[in-house]
Amino acid sequence: MDKPALAAWLGAEITGMALLSGGAIQQNWALDVLAGGQAQRWVLRTDAAATLAVSRSRAEEFHLLRAAHAAGVTVPEPLRLCTDRSVIGAPFFIMRRVDGLAAAHRVVRSETLAGGRQALVAALGRELARIHSIVPPRADLPFLGEPASDPCRRFVAAMRVLLDAGRLPRPMLEWGLRQLEISAPPPAATVLCHNDFRTGNYMATEAGISGILDWEFAAWGDPHEDIGWLCARCWRFGGPGEVGGVGPRAPFVAAYEAASGRRVDPARVAWWEIAAAIRWAVVAIDQAERHISGAEPSLELALTGHIVPELELDVMRAVMARAA
Amino acid sequence: MSWDGHEAPDTRALLEIARTTLMEAVIPALTGDARFKALMVANAMAIARREDGPAAAAVHAAVRELGDVAALCAAIRAGAHDPGSADHDRIAASLRALAEARCRISAPKALG
Repeated sequence: MDKPALAAWLGAEITGMALLSGGAIQQNWALDVLAGGQAQRWVLRTDAAATLAVSRSRAEEFHLLRAAHAAGVTVPEPLRLCTDRSVIGAPFFIMRRVDGLAAAHRVVRSETLAGGRQALVAALGRELARIHSIVPPRADLPFLGEPASDPCRRFVAAMRVLLDAGRLPRPMLEWGLRQLEISAPPPAATVLCHNDFRTGNYMATEAGISGILDWEFAAWGDPHEDIGWLCARCWRFGGPGEVGGVGPRAPFVAAYEAASGRRVDPARVAWWEIAAAIRWAVVAIDQAERHISGAEPSLELALTGHIVPELELDVMRAVMARAA
Repeated sequence: MSWDGHEAPDTRALLEIARTTLMEAVIPALTGDARFKALMVANAMAIARREDGPAAAAVHAAVRELGDVAALCAAIRAGAHDPGSADHDRIAASLRALAEARCRISAPKALG
Protein backbone atom coordinates (compact mmCIF):
# COMPACT_ATOMS: atom_id res chain seq x y z
CA MET A 1 0.00 0.00 0.00
CA ASP A 2 1.45 3.35 -1.10
CA LYS A 3 0.79 5.44 1.99
CA PRO A 4 2.09 8.80 0.71
CA ALA A 5 -0.05 8.50 -2.45
CA LEU A 6 -3.07 7.59 -0.35
CA ALA A 7 -2.47 10.47 2.08
CA ALA A 8 -2.17 12.88 -0.85
CA TRP A 9 -5.43 11.64 -2.38
CA LEU A 10 -7.19 11.84 0.98
CA GLY A 11 -5.75 15.27 1.72
CA ALA A 12 -5.19 14.01 5.23
CA GLU A 13 -2.39 12.83 7.46
CA ILE A 14 -2.48 9.06 8.10
CA THR A 15 -1.74 8.44 11.77
CA GLY A 16 -2.53 4.73 11.81
CA MET A 17 -3.23 1.96 9.34
CA ALA A 18 -3.85 -1.76 9.94
CA LEU A 19 -5.44 -4.61 7.99
CA LEU A 20 -8.76 -5.37 9.71
CA SER A 21 -9.86 -8.42 7.79
CA GLY A 22 -8.49 -10.11 4.75
CA GLY A 23 -11.61 -11.61 3.24
CA ALA A 24 -11.29 -13.90 0.23
CA ILE A 25 -12.81 -11.14 -1.87
CA GLN A 26 -12.18 -7.82 -0.15
CA GLN A 27 -9.67 -6.22 2.15
CA ASN A 28 -10.62 -3.77 4.88
CA TRP A 29 -8.04 -1.43 6.37
CA ALA A 30 -8.58 0.53 9.54
CA LEU A 31 -7.44 4.06 8.85
CA ASP A 32 -6.81 6.71 11.49
CA VAL A 33 -6.32 10.13 9.96
CA LEU A 34 -6.07 13.79 10.78
CA ALA A 35 -8.27 15.65 8.30
CA GLY A 36 -8.70 19.39 8.68
CA GLY A 37 -7.23 19.15 12.15
CA GLN A 38 -9.82 16.55 13.20
CA ALA A 39 -9.04 12.96 14.15
CA GLN A 40 -11.18 10.59 12.08
CA ARG A 41 -11.66 6.83 12.20
CA TRP A 42 -12.25 5.40 8.76
CA VAL A 43 -12.21 2.11 6.90
CA LEU A 44 -10.64 1.70 3.47
CA ARG A 45 -12.24 -1.13 1.51
CA THR A 46 -10.55 -2.51 -1.57
CA ASP A 47 -10.29 -5.70 -3.63
CA ALA A 48 -8.22 -8.67 -2.56
CA ALA A 49 -6.33 -10.66 -5.17
CA ALA A 50 -9.16 -12.96 -6.15
CA THR A 51 -12.41 -11.26 -7.08
CA LEU A 52 -15.51 -13.32 -7.72
CA ALA A 53 -17.08 -12.53 -11.06
CA VAL A 54 -20.52 -12.41 -9.41
CA SER A 55 -19.54 -9.83 -6.82
CA ARG A 56 -20.03 -6.12 -7.33
CA SER A 57 -17.17 -3.68 -7.86
CA ARG A 58 -16.05 -1.34 -5.08
CA ALA A 59 -17.61 1.56 -6.99
CA GLU A 60 -20.95 -0.24 -7.17
CA GLU A 61 -20.75 -1.16 -3.50
CA PHE A 62 -20.10 2.49 -2.65
CA HIS A 63 -23.25 3.56 -4.51
CA LEU A 64 -25.27 0.81 -2.80
CA LEU A 65 -24.01 2.00 0.60
CA ARG A 66 -25.03 5.55 -0.27
CA ALA A 67 -28.53 4.40 -1.26
CA ALA A 68 -28.84 2.32 1.93
CA HIS A 69 -27.59 5.17 4.10
CA ALA A 70 -30.14 7.52 2.52
CA ALA A 71 -32.89 4.94 3.13
CA GLY A 72 -32.08 4.92 6.83
CA VAL A 73 -30.31 1.57 6.93
CA THR A 74 -27.67 1.46 9.67
CA VAL A 75 -24.49 1.31 7.60
CA PRO A 76 -21.01 2.76 7.96
CA GLU A 77 -21.42 6.15 6.30
CA PRO A 78 -19.78 6.05 2.85
CA LEU A 79 -17.48 9.05 2.40
CA ARG A 80 -15.36 8.94 -0.76
CA LEU A 81 -14.77 6.68 -3.73
CA CYS A 82 -11.51 6.36 -5.67
CA THR A 83 -11.63 4.55 -9.01
CA ASP A 84 -8.11 5.72 -9.99
CA ARG A 85 -5.94 2.60 -9.83
CA SER A 86 -2.75 4.65 -9.69
CA VAL A 87 -3.34 5.63 -6.05
CA ILE A 88 -3.12 2.24 -4.27
CA GLY A 89 -3.23 -0.15 -7.23
CA ALA A 90 -6.96 -0.95 -7.08
CA PRO A 91 -10.24 0.94 -6.70
CA PHE A 92 -11.26 1.63 -3.09
CA PHE A 93 -13.67 3.61 -1.01
CA ILE A 94 -13.61 5.23 2.39
CA MET A 95 -16.33 4.81 4.98
CA ARG A 96 -16.63 5.69 8.64
CA ARG A 97 -15.45 3.02 11.06
CA VAL A 98 -18.17 1.70 13.36
CA ASP A 99 -17.69 -0.21 16.58
CA GLY A 100 -19.26 -3.52 17.32
CA LEU A 101 -19.03 -7.27 17.21
CA ALA A 102 -19.44 -9.09 13.89
CA ALA A 103 -17.91 -12.55 14.55
CA ALA A 104 -20.86 -14.87 14.03
CA HIS A 105 -19.91 -17.53 16.59
CA ARG A 106 -19.77 -14.87 19.31
CA VAL A 107 -22.90 -13.02 18.16
CA VAL A 108 -25.05 -16.16 18.41
CA ARG A 109 -23.76 -16.93 21.92
CA SER A 110 -24.51 -13.50 23.37
CA GLU A 111 -27.61 -13.02 25.54
CA THR A 112 -27.14 -9.25 25.80
CA LEU A 113 -25.93 -8.00 22.42
CA ALA A 114 -28.18 -5.24 21.01
CA GLY A 115 -30.46 -5.53 24.03
CA GLY A 116 -30.87 -9.31 23.93
CA ARG A 117 -32.07 -11.91 21.47
CA GLN A 118 -35.63 -10.62 20.93
CA ALA A 119 -34.45 -7.04 20.51
CA LEU A 120 -31.68 -8.04 18.11
CA VAL A 121 -33.96 -10.00 15.76
CA ALA A 122 -36.50 -7.14 15.85
CA ALA A 123 -33.71 -4.71 14.93
CA LEU A 124 -32.70 -7.02 12.07
CA GLY A 125 -36.32 -6.97 10.89
CA ARG A 126 -36.36 -3.16 10.87
CA GLU A 127 -33.02 -2.95 9.05
CA LEU A 128 -34.16 -5.41 6.39
CA ALA A 129 -37.43 -3.49 5.97
CA ARG A 130 -35.43 -0.31 5.29
CA ILE A 131 -33.25 -2.12 2.75
CA HIS A 132 -36.40 -3.42 1.05
CA SER A 133 -37.82 0.11 0.89
CA ILE A 134 -35.40 0.64 -2.00
CA VAL A 135 -37.31 -0.39 -5.12
CA PRO A 136 -36.73 -0.08 -8.87
CA PRO A 137 -36.28 1.98 -10.92
CA ARG A 138 -33.29 3.80 -9.41
CA ALA A 139 -31.19 6.06 -11.61
CA ASP A 140 -28.36 5.95 -9.05
CA LEU A 141 -28.13 2.14 -9.24
CA PRO A 142 -28.05 1.45 -12.99
CA PHE A 143 -25.60 -1.45 -12.56
CA LEU A 144 -28.37 -3.51 -10.93
CA GLY A 145 -29.98 -3.87 -14.36
CA GLU A 146 -33.58 -4.78 -15.02
CA PRO A 147 -35.28 -6.83 -12.28
CA ALA A 148 -35.90 -10.47 -13.15
CA SER A 149 -39.53 -11.12 -14.08
CA ASP A 150 -39.49 -14.31 -12.00
CA PRO A 151 -36.81 -14.42 -9.25
CA CYS A 152 -37.55 -18.03 -8.24
CA ARG A 153 -37.16 -19.44 -11.73
CA ARG A 154 -34.15 -17.23 -12.36
CA PHE A 155 -32.56 -18.69 -9.21
CA VAL A 156 -33.13 -22.29 -10.30
CA ALA A 157 -31.75 -21.57 -13.78
CA ALA A 158 -28.69 -19.74 -12.43
CA MET A 159 -27.81 -22.58 -10.04
CA ARG A 160 -28.11 -25.14 -12.85
CA VAL A 161 -25.71 -23.15 -15.00
CA LEU A 162 -23.18 -23.19 -12.15
CA LEU A 163 -23.69 -26.91 -11.47
CA ASP A 164 -23.20 -27.66 -15.17
CA ALA A 165 -19.89 -25.80 -15.06
CA GLY A 166 -18.69 -27.99 -12.17
CA ARG A 167 -16.54 -31.09 -12.46
CA LEU A 168 -18.90 -33.46 -10.64
CA PRO A 169 -22.59 -34.37 -10.65
CA ARG A 170 -24.41 -33.14 -7.53
CA PRO A 171 -27.54 -35.29 -7.20
CA MET A 172 -28.74 -33.93 -3.85
CA LEU A 173 -28.52 -30.34 -5.11
CA GLU A 174 -30.29 -31.36 -8.35
CA TRP A 175 -33.00 -32.96 -6.23
CA GLY A 176 -33.45 -29.80 -4.20
CA LEU A 177 -33.51 -27.57 -7.30
CA ARG A 178 -36.13 -29.73 -9.00
CA GLN A 179 -38.33 -29.62 -5.88
CA LEU A 180 -37.94 -25.84 -5.81
CA GLU A 181 -38.74 -25.59 -9.51
CA ILE A 182 -42.04 -27.47 -9.22
CA SER A 183 -43.07 -25.58 -6.08
CA ALA A 184 -41.94 -22.08 -7.14
CA PRO A 185 -44.35 -19.38 -5.99
CA PRO A 186 -45.44 -16.80 -8.59
CA PRO A 187 -43.47 -13.53 -8.78
CA ALA A 188 -44.34 -10.95 -6.12
CA ALA A 189 -42.77 -7.66 -5.07
CA THR A 190 -39.36 -6.59 -6.39
CA VAL A 191 -37.05 -4.85 -3.91
CA LEU A 192 -33.35 -4.33 -3.31
CA CYS A 193 -32.10 -7.59 -1.78
CA HIS A 194 -28.85 -7.42 0.17
CA ASN A 195 -28.22 -11.08 -0.75
CA ASP A 196 -25.79 -11.76 2.08
CA PHE A 197 -27.89 -10.51 5.01
CA ARG A 198 -26.85 -12.95 7.75
CA THR A 199 -25.15 -13.18 11.09
CA GLY A 200 -21.48 -12.37 10.52
CA ASN A 201 -22.33 -9.57 8.09
CA TYR A 202 -23.68 -7.06 10.60
CA MET A 203 -22.01 -5.41 13.55
CA ALA A 204 -23.73 -4.89 16.88
CA THR A 205 -22.94 -3.40 20.26
CA GLU A 206 -24.80 -3.83 23.52
CA ALA A 207 -26.89 -0.82 22.43
CA GLY A 208 -27.99 -2.12 19.04
CA ILE A 209 -27.00 -2.83 15.45
CA SER A 210 -24.12 -0.57 14.46
CA GLY A 211 -23.71 -1.49 10.80
CA ILE A 212 -25.00 -3.73 8.01
CA LEU A 213 -21.93 -4.81 6.05
CA ASP A 214 -20.89 -6.58 2.84
CA TRP A 215 -23.15 -5.26 0.11
CA GLU A 216 -21.29 -6.82 -2.79
CA PHE A 217 -24.05 -9.29 -3.76
CA ALA A 218 -26.99 -6.85 -3.66
CA ALA A 219 -29.49 -7.18 -6.51
CA TRP A 220 -33.17 -6.70 -7.32
CA GLY A 221 -35.17 -9.64 -6.05
CA ASP A 222 -37.97 -11.09 -3.93
CA PRO A 223 -37.86 -9.76 -0.34
CA HIS A 224 -38.31 -13.33 0.95
CA GLU A 225 -34.93 -14.20 -0.54
CA ASP A 226 -33.14 -12.15 2.14
CA ILE A 227 -35.38 -13.53 4.91
CA GLY A 228 -34.71 -17.12 3.81
CA TRP A 229 -30.95 -16.49 3.71
CA LEU A 230 -30.98 -14.97 7.21
CA CYS A 231 -33.07 -17.81 8.68
CA ALA A 232 -31.52 -20.77 6.84
CA ARG A 233 -30.10 -23.48 9.10
CA CYS A 234 -26.68 -23.11 7.48
CA TRP A 235 -26.31 -19.53 8.78
CA ARG A 236 -27.18 -20.16 12.42
CA PHE A 237 -23.61 -20.93 13.53
CA GLY A 238 -24.82 -23.36 16.18
CA GLY A 239 -26.93 -20.64 17.80
CA PRO A 240 -30.32 -21.37 19.35
CA GLY A 241 -32.51 -19.01 17.30
CA GLU A 242 -34.03 -19.69 13.89
CA VAL A 243 -33.32 -16.09 12.81
CA GLY A 244 -29.58 -16.04 12.16
CA GLY A 245 -28.92 -18.32 15.13
CA VAL A 246 -29.86 -15.35 17.30
CA GLY A 247 -33.54 -15.40 18.21
CA PRO A 248 -37.08 -16.52 17.37
CA ARG A 249 -38.97 -15.70 14.19
CA ALA A 250 -42.05 -13.99 15.68
CA PRO A 251 -40.42 -10.72 16.85
CA PHE A 252 -38.35 -10.55 13.66
CA VAL A 253 -41.41 -10.95 11.43
CA ALA A 254 -43.50 -8.53 13.52
CA ALA A 255 -40.83 -5.84 13.33
CA TYR A 256 -40.26 -6.41 9.60
CA GLU A 257 -43.97 -6.28 8.79
CA ALA A 258 -44.55 -3.17 10.92
CA ALA A 259 -41.62 -1.29 9.37
CA SER A 260 -42.14 -2.39 5.76
CA GLY A 261 -45.90 -2.68 5.46
CA ARG A 262 -45.23 -6.00 3.69
CA ARG A 263 -46.56 -9.38 4.80
CA VAL A 264 -44.09 -12.21 5.28
CA ASP A 265 -45.27 -15.41 3.60
CA PRO A 266 -43.86 -18.38 5.56
CA ALA A 267 -44.15 -20.69 2.54
CA ARG A 268 -42.00 -18.32 0.47
CA VAL A 269 -39.48 -18.05 3.29
CA ALA A 270 -39.29 -21.87 3.45
CA TRP A 271 -38.71 -21.97 -0.31
CA TRP A 272 -35.85 -19.48 -0.06
CA GLU A 273 -34.34 -21.32 2.94
CA ILE A 274 -33.87 -24.41 0.76
CA ALA A 275 -32.57 -22.11 -1.96
CA ALA A 276 -30.09 -20.67 0.58
CA ALA A 277 -28.57 -24.08 1.33
CA ILE A 278 -28.25 -24.80 -2.39
CA ARG A 279 -26.72 -21.38 -3.13
CA TRP A 280 -24.17 -21.70 -0.31
CA ALA A 281 -23.32 -25.24 -1.48
CA VAL A 282 -22.70 -24.03 -5.04
CA VAL A 283 -20.50 -21.19 -3.75
CA ALA A 284 -18.63 -23.60 -1.44
CA ILE A 285 -17.99 -25.99 -4.35
CA ASP A 286 -16.59 -23.09 -6.35
CA GLN A 287 -14.39 -21.89 -3.48
CA ALA A 288 -12.99 -25.39 -2.86
CA GLU A 289 -12.29 -25.69 -6.58
CA ARG A 290 -9.94 -22.71 -6.33
CA HIS A 291 -7.82 -24.79 -3.95
CA ILE A 292 -8.28 -28.12 -5.77
CA SER A 293 -7.28 -26.64 -9.14
CA GLY A 294 -4.08 -25.27 -7.62
CA ALA A 295 -5.06 -21.70 -8.50
CA GLU A 296 -5.10 -20.62 -4.86
CA PRO A 297 -3.80 -23.18 -2.34
CA SER A 298 -5.60 -22.49 0.95
CA LEU A 299 -6.63 -24.62 3.91
CA GLU A 300 -9.69 -22.43 4.44
CA LEU A 301 -10.84 -22.95 0.83
CA ALA A 302 -10.07 -26.68 1.10
CA LEU A 303 -12.23 -27.03 4.21
CA THR A 304 -15.03 -25.01 2.61
CA GLY A 305 -15.55 -27.97 0.27
CA HIS A 306 -16.32 -30.16 3.27
CA ILE A 307 -19.27 -27.89 4.16
CA VAL A 308 -21.08 -29.19 1.06
CA PRO A 309 -22.29 -32.53 2.54
CA GLU A 310 -24.09 -30.90 5.46
CA LEU A 311 -25.74 -28.43 3.08
CA GLU A 312 -26.89 -31.38 0.98
CA LEU A 313 -28.31 -32.96 4.13
CA ASP A 314 -30.08 -29.67 4.97
CA VAL A 315 -31.63 -29.74 1.49
CA MET A 316 -32.74 -33.38 1.74
CA ARG A 317 -34.18 -32.92 5.23
CA ALA A 318 -36.06 -29.76 4.30
CA VAL A 319 -37.43 -31.17 1.04
CA MET A 320 -38.55 -34.41 2.72
CA ALA A 321 -40.11 -32.51 5.65
CA ARG A 322 -42.11 -30.39 3.19
CA ALA A 323 -43.32 -33.46 1.32
CA ALA A 324 -44.34 -35.31 4.50
CA MET B 1 2.29 -62.83 10.95
CA SER B 2 2.99 -61.62 7.43
CA TRP B 3 4.80 -58.34 6.93
CA ASP B 4 3.55 -55.85 4.32
CA GLY B 5 6.67 -53.72 4.44
CA HIS B 6 4.96 -50.68 5.96
CA GLU B 7 6.18 -49.40 9.27
CA ALA B 8 3.47 -48.90 11.90
CA PRO B 9 1.78 -46.76 13.07
CA ASP B 10 -0.28 -46.33 9.89
CA THR B 11 -2.04 -43.31 8.33
CA ARG B 12 -4.99 -43.38 10.69
CA ALA B 13 -2.97 -43.89 13.85
CA LEU B 14 -0.49 -41.16 12.91
CA LEU B 15 -3.25 -38.67 12.12
CA GLU B 16 -4.94 -39.50 15.40
CA ILE B 17 -1.90 -39.00 17.63
CA ALA B 18 -0.76 -35.95 15.67
CA ARG B 19 -4.18 -34.34 16.05
CA THR B 20 -4.36 -35.19 19.74
CA THR B 21 -0.97 -33.57 20.26
CA LEU B 22 -2.05 -30.50 18.28
CA MET B 23 -5.25 -30.14 20.32
CA GLU B 24 -3.73 -30.80 23.74
CA ALA B 25 -0.21 -29.39 23.52
CA VAL B 26 -0.19 -26.77 20.77
CA ILE B 27 -3.54 -25.05 20.38
CA PRO B 28 -3.92 -24.07 24.07
CA ALA B 29 -0.72 -22.02 23.71
CA LEU B 30 -1.95 -20.15 20.62
CA THR B 31 -4.07 -17.04 20.23
CA GLY B 32 -5.63 -15.04 17.43
CA ASP B 33 -5.04 -15.94 13.82
CA ALA B 34 -2.54 -18.70 14.61
CA ARG B 35 -5.09 -20.39 16.89
CA PHE B 36 -7.80 -20.07 14.22
CA LYS B 37 -5.48 -21.62 11.61
CA ALA B 38 -4.38 -24.41 13.97
CA LEU B 39 -8.03 -25.28 14.63
CA MET B 40 -8.52 -25.51 10.85
CA VAL B 41 -5.52 -27.86 10.68
CA ALA B 42 -7.05 -30.02 13.41
CA ASN B 43 -10.36 -30.07 11.53
CA ALA B 44 -8.63 -31.09 8.29
CA MET B 45 -6.82 -33.91 10.11
CA ALA B 46 -10.09 -35.15 11.62
CA ILE B 47 -11.75 -35.23 8.18
CA ALA B 48 -8.74 -37.03 6.69
CA ARG B 49 -8.82 -39.63 9.46
CA ARG B 50 -12.55 -40.28 8.92
CA GLU B 51 -11.93 -40.62 5.15
CA ASP B 52 -9.84 -43.68 6.03
CA GLY B 53 -12.55 -45.53 7.93
CA PRO B 54 -15.97 -47.19 7.83
CA ALA B 55 -17.74 -43.99 6.75
CA ALA B 56 -15.97 -44.14 3.39
CA ALA B 57 -17.42 -47.63 2.75
CA ALA B 58 -20.89 -46.28 3.53
CA VAL B 59 -20.40 -43.47 0.98
CA HIS B 60 -19.25 -45.90 -1.70
CA ALA B 61 -22.22 -48.20 -1.03
CA ALA B 62 -24.68 -45.28 -1.19
CA VAL B 63 -23.18 -44.07 -4.48
CA ARG B 64 -23.30 -47.59 -5.98
CA GLU B 65 -27.00 -47.75 -5.13
CA LEU B 66 -27.63 -44.65 -7.27
CA GLY B 67 -26.12 -46.23 -10.41
CA ASP B 68 -25.09 -43.73 -13.11
CA VAL B 69 -25.10 -40.50 -11.10
CA ALA B 70 -24.78 -38.14 -14.08
CA ALA B 71 -27.75 -39.84 -15.77
CA LEU B 72 -29.68 -39.67 -12.51
CA CYS B 73 -29.02 -35.92 -12.27
CA ALA B 74 -30.33 -35.39 -15.82
CA ALA B 75 -33.43 -37.48 -15.05
CA ILE B 76 -34.12 -35.55 -11.84
CA ARG B 77 -33.83 -32.27 -13.73
CA ALA B 78 -36.14 -33.54 -16.48
CA GLY B 79 -38.79 -34.39 -13.89
CA ALA B 80 -38.60 -38.18 -14.27
CA HIS B 81 -38.51 -38.67 -10.49
CA ASP B 82 -40.98 -35.99 -9.40
CA PRO B 83 -43.33 -36.63 -6.48
CA GLY B 84 -45.89 -39.23 -7.56
CA SER B 85 -43.47 -41.08 -9.86
CA ALA B 86 -42.78 -44.76 -9.18
CA ASP B 87 -39.31 -44.43 -7.69
CA HIS B 88 -39.55 -40.95 -6.11
CA ASP B 89 -39.55 -42.21 -2.53
CA ARG B 90 -36.76 -44.74 -3.13
CA ILE B 91 -34.48 -42.16 -4.75
CA ALA B 92 -35.21 -39.55 -2.07
CA ALA B 93 -34.28 -42.09 0.61
CA SER B 94 -31.09 -43.07 -1.25
CA LEU B 95 -30.02 -39.45 -1.69
CA ARG B 96 -30.64 -38.75 1.96
CA ALA B 97 -28.62 -41.84 2.93
CA LEU B 98 -25.76 -40.62 0.72
CA ALA B 99 -25.89 -37.14 2.25
CA GLU B 100 -25.78 -38.68 5.73
CA ALA B 101 -22.86 -40.94 4.82
CA ARG B 102 -20.95 -37.97 3.38
CA CYS B 103 -21.61 -36.04 6.59
CA ARG B 104 -20.12 -38.90 8.63
CA ILE B 105 -16.82 -37.92 6.98
CA SER B 106 -17.11 -34.17 6.45
CA ALA B 107 -19.41 -32.98 9.25
CA PRO B 108 -20.53 -35.63 11.76
CA LYS B 109 -22.00 -32.93 14.01
CA ALA B 110 -24.64 -32.29 11.34
CA LEU B 111 -26.06 -35.77 12.04
CA GLY B 112 -26.82 -34.97 15.69
